[in-house]
Amino acid sequence: MNYDDETLMAYADGELDEARRAAIAAAIASDPALARRVEQHRALRGDVAEAFSKVMDESVPQRLVNAARGGSTLASAAGGKVLRFPTRSGRAPGPPWRAREWVAMAASLLLGVFISWRAFTPSDPGVMVAGKDALVAHGILARALDHQLASAQRGEEPVLIGLTFKAHDGNYCRSFILRATRTAGLACRMGDEWQIPATDTASPSPGDVQQASSVAPAILRLIEARMEGQALDADEEQSAKLAGWKQQRP
Amino acid sequence: MTNASEEIGERIVELLPRLRRFARSLSRNQHDADDLVQAVVERAWTHLAQLKPGANLASWMFGIMKNAWIDNRRSFKRRGEVALPEDSGEHPAVSPVDAHATLWSVSEAMDKLPEDQRLAIALVLVEGFSYKEAAEVLEIPIGTLTSRLARGRTALAAALGKGDGEVA
Repeated sequence: MNYDDETLMAYADGELDEARRAAIAAAIASDPALARRVEQHRALRGDVAEAFSKVMDESVPQRLVNAARGGSTLASAAGGKVLRFPTRSGRAPGPPWRAREWVAMAASLLLGVFISWRAFTPSDPGVMVAGKDALVAHGILARALDHQLASAQRGEEPVLIGLTFKAHDGNYCRSFILRATRTAGLACRMGDEWQIPATDTASPSPGDVQQASSVAPAILRLIEARMEGQALDADEEQSAKLAGWKQQRP
Repeated sequence: MTNASEEIGERIVELLPRLRRFARSLSRNQHDADDLVQAVVERAWTHLAQLKPGANLASWMFGIMKNAWIDNRRSFKRRGEVALPEDSGEHPAVSPVDAHATLWSVSEAMDKLPEDQRLAIALVLVEGFSYKEAAEVLEIPIGTLTSRLARGRTALAAALGKGDGEVA
């Protein structure tokens, strides 16, 4: 029985369910080559973990300890209730998040929303128009989807590109965030345009701010449903852009 | 309430060694890595209201570090590519020379990885997160996580001279 590398890796990491774990354990017992590949995964894991384990023995700089405790001082000063720094409330929404993964952007935008929700003007109607079958990207959104590489973003662009991947139908899809309207969405290439099968607007309510990973599960599920293989890495993203986001024929 | 935030402060203090280790696996220079940790701790306090009751503080803070690193990695690498502590006098010599050499070669190999693979490797191999936990911290599907992890491992093994080629 031949096992792919990811399966053997997951076995070495203790990530397989009991049935598959037992099957591979049995296969290893009679296949020294298989055993060696698993052992390589374990050895590499051990080497990497060992290399960085020394950091755990270092004394922690006092400035970090102070920073870790610093918040409690502020909280005390504010009557123990307000845990964010009041002086920062006038700033842009939280830190300048950069979207490598689009979900992170959705999260970070939402994080800042309760601070500065009213500071933004809503809606930029020029970025999506009704096409024949679906919403189609227009204006700055279309340009960003055409030209912007997630790997080269600074985080300050009006549109942030997240994951780029190939869908089951062979077309490219890209997740994005419109910063001005806090809209997360998915765009898929159809011919010469980007169709938008779904968007999800962060709907902030100060008392109910969700944690990062739960921000836009609908879009995440859509990505998982459509994705063929894996998300493109930086080189693949660049190549797809150079090819004009056209389907690759074998 | 004050006691609660003091307690969180102490829990963050307890997390500092792990946060420093994660930072060191991202940024090779010790001072840059500590700057990253400090920025993360400050962000955590600023956004503490976002931490849901019952949520895992460690996962949340590792997620903040991931974001802080991706946002600002240039500024956290301004001191260049020095892998070893510059002032080992400040930190008792707990590591013999060969262990430092291992750290140096592993971290040099990790430094050559694409960012997404390095993050996956750091969370799973260095920090010991499960695939599910690491995927949640990175906010990516678990299949994407395992793919990045596998590719990162292959690249690391090759860089460290432990690839399939050598054994086969």
